[in-house]
Amino acid sequence: MKLAYFNDFNLGIIENDYIFDVSEMVHDIPHLGPHDLIKGLIERWAEYKDLLGKASILSKKIPLAKVHLRAPLPKPGKIICMARNFMDSQSDKPEPLNAFLKSPSAITGPETTITLPNAPAAIFEHEAELAIVIGKRASNINSKNAYQHIFGYVNFMDISARGLAVGNLATDTFFPGKSWHTFAPIGPYIVTEDEVENPQALDVKLWVNRRLRQDYSMQGMNHTIAKSIEWVSTITPLEPGDVFCCGTNHTGLGPLQNGDTVEMEIEGLGKLCVHVRDPLKRTWPPLTRAEKVSLKGTGETE
Amino acid sequence: MKLLFFNNFIPGVLKDDTVVDISKIISDIPHVTAHDWMAGLISNFSKYRDLIQETALGSSGIPLKKVRLRQPIPNPINLVCMAGNYSENGAITKAKPLNAFLKSPDSIIGPEDTVILPSQQADIFHHEAELAIVIGKQAMNVKASDAYEYIFGYVNFIDISARGLHQDSLFIGKSWNTFGPMGPYLVTADEVEDPQNLPVKLWVNGNLRQDYTTADMGVDIPRTFEWVTSIVSLNPGDVLSCGTNHQGLSALQNNDLVQMEAGRLGKLTVNVKDVLDRTWQREIDKDTANRVAERTTTGGFGQSPANF
Repeated sequence: MKLAYFNDFNLGIIENDYIFDVSEMVHDIPHLGPHDLIKGLIERWAEYKDLLGKASILSKKIPLAKVHLRAPLPKPGKIICMARNFMDSQSDKPEPLNAFLKSPSAITGPETTITLPNAPAAIFEHEAELAIVIGKRASNINSKNAYQHIFGYVNFMDISARGLAVGNLATDTFFPGKSWHTFAPIGPYIVTEDEVENPQALDVKLWVNRRLRQDYSMQGMNHTIAKSIEWVSTITPLEPGDVFCCGTNHTGLGPLQNGDTVEMEIEGLGKLCVHVRDPLKRTWPPLTRAEKVSLKGTGETE
Repeated sequence: MKLLFFNNFIPGVLKDDTVVDISKIISDIPHVTAHDWMAGLISNFSKYRDLIQETALGSSGIPLKKVRLRQPIPNPINLVCMAGNYSENGAITKAKPLNAFLKSPDSIIGPEDTVILPSQQADIFHHEAELAIVIGKQAMNVKASDAYEYIFGYVNFIDISARGLHQDSLFIGKSWNTFGPMGPYLVTADEVEDPQNLPVKLWVNGNLRQDYTTADMGVDIPRTFEWVTSIVSLNPGDVLSCGTNHQGLSALQNNDLVQMEAGRLGKLTVNVKDVLDRTWQREIDKDTANRVAERTTTGGFGQSPANF
């Protein structure tokens, strides 16, 4: 099933080119806003999934082209992102497990705009990632059971500012690197786990202005999804609706700048499109990290 | 006013040595969780303040000894902690670039709860006593000169830290379950005369370890607030912890009793449990203190040559 928020955060189920409004079917889930409605639904999924499965028969049918899709998880309890979890141009040997928390306030939805802050970053980059939506509360999950804790999957871009807060006592600078407002595009919808056959073999692609930048397979993860979930849950409990991002392959990372259109797609998860605005209109050569390395190899300058 | 949760997260207010239940007064605040209730009260405090004051003054409360106090902010959306933001009793004369980290909101525990040390082979587990700020209204790109308008109140916070599990990861250092003791109550800003000049004290088994004042912050509260809200928009009930002075850090180990108090925010007491019963030297960690104060360039943060 494909779960989405649309227009004024109406909850919908997407089938083919239509969305079916299911707000009425879930109105009895206690909630203050869309963030805890989706969380409440995930917690009670077993009770609601059969009913929601009949949305195309029972609910109002709206052409997808006529609605504005919103972030399917507008304010997760936590966004946990794996750091350096792929063998790529940055890492020639597997690095120890590491992660960081990204602010839930950074979430933004499809067709919204990332605003680059007025901070002296060396560069702003896109990181296309597979995000896992957690299905139930748990600590100390055994990797053998990890998939039982997964509710679904969604596209996620971990937008990143480099080179800030250098010189502080703490050399971990993920907060000023990652948590800026609008630095967490997510969507266009959550795909429930039963529709994703092998998440560890998905291809992840990201384009900037229609030029392919990132194109990698989830098979390249150093620490598998199951192992990563096991490890993270030893540190902090996972909650329904939490977002767990698998990290990215850094080979295709490149700069974002004013006017860019960024699209990403993981097989079966739909296409997430966002725009970039930079009031300072800074520019960088539109090259991926791999392209910069190969230019250096031929003696050309950046 | 001192707002709190007690027993099964019943909202209350402190009156002398008693707790007065305010759940009826604020029953119309929409909430799914206890956190929503407190965040809703914070957002609409002007509507409820007088009523709470009158009720509290007019009621006889439940003796503190008969209730279990809980963490007053159970589940903030953002728990932002400043990193390396003190001048270490004046040793760091030039302020460092600001830095912070997010600590898992699920790490928060309350008064008399127990910090559980994980079995991972950390070099040491430290306490970091901190003044934490509770946000009163949506705060994004707030100017330093306006910062105090966004501060609802203050609470004691201990940023428990594991050292040496990873060369630089603050997630692995800070986000362990139970590593965020908070409480015993949330003190509204009107009762804190000068948050920039509060003594912060922490004791381990009755021995004073940390003893500094918030006047030692390298970058003051308003400018810290400005910087943080330039990055992330904070919500009512979010928590910004000011960082710590590292000159009194020491090891935590099994059966320790930890107490802290900033200003007159009440005494926060927690216990420590370590199933592995590891031991460390009990004095202040001078290696860390010296390195953070830049009197030495090596040692500390668990890299001490002592036989840890």
